[in-house]
Amino acid sequence: MRSTKFWILLIAAALVVCLAAAAAVMLGNTGSCVARVYQNGQLLRAVDLSQVEEGYTFTVSGPAGENLVQVEPGRIRVAAADCPDQVCVHQGWISTGIAPIVCLPNQLVIQIQSDSHNQQVDGVTG
Amino acid sequence: MKGFTLRQITRMAVLTAVALAIFIAEAQLPPLVPIVPGIKLGLANIITVYALFALGPGQAGMILLARVLLGSLFAGGMTLFYSLGGGVCCYLVMLAVHRLLTRRQIWVCSVLGAMAHNAGQIAVAVALTRTPAVAAYLPVLLVSGILTGLFTGLCAQFLLSRLKGSSPPRTTK
Repeated sequence: MRSTKFWILLIAAALVVCLAAAAAVMLGNTGSCVARVYQNGQLLRAVDLSQVEEGYTFTVSGPAGENLVQVEPGRIRVAAADCPDQVCVHQGWISTGIAPIVCLPNQLVIQIQSDSHNQQVDGVTG
Repeated sequence: MKGFTLRQITRMAVLTAVALAIFIAEAQLPPLVPIVPGIKLGLANIITVYALFALGPGQAGMILLARVLLGSLFAGGMTLFYSLGGGVCCYLVMLAVHRLLTRRQIWVCSVLGAMAHNAGQIAVAVALTRTPAVAAYLPVLLVSGILTGLFTGLCAQFLLSRLKGSSPPRTTK
């Protein structure tokens, strides 16, 4: 049996590491502009958000229905979706690579990346 | 059901029902942190932790499996894969650490289990969406997992200490 102090230190250390990693993911990936819309891992569209002059919408259909994607200068969101949970809609606008919009029922991912400095977020898994 | 007495089966059924009710009630709550989907309290894990310490790994595993399968029937959609991926990881980690802990350290089991649950869910999400970038959620989810795991673990620990007189010994066959 380990002492309680050992477990507290272990978990506190894990918390600090995770907080640092979360902060790195949140802050590190800013200043990017190209939104890529993937479905099932395949690139459907790439929208350069800095080049958008007037907002527009398009729809993506998938196994669970349709997602209405709305683009405005510098930002993108899922405005409406047919899925029951509406997680992607509640996430609202994104304008940075902080957190991609993910619609699991429709296997849709909207991710913002910088073209000049292509940050590979999957390095985080290692 | 070979190997389980009628009393054990009944107790597992009651605990599964309680866990399922908690799970469904929690699913009705609005998202805790709207920016990052998937953050939730995981209150149903109180029952899993309780069962692991009070009834042993076999029965805890059965309760978890039944709750995940029934829960995804009610919640619908892709819930099954995520719950199963997270649940199995969580169970395996809790199984590994629960023998190392005293009865005052039960919360540790829940914290480590919650972290394993997050890792399992992200792994399933990466596999299903085929988008490795989903893994960027992992640190954020782990932070929430540590905090919510601490909360549910303390709940389970208090539950176990209050029920000490009435709960059966861990070595029941």
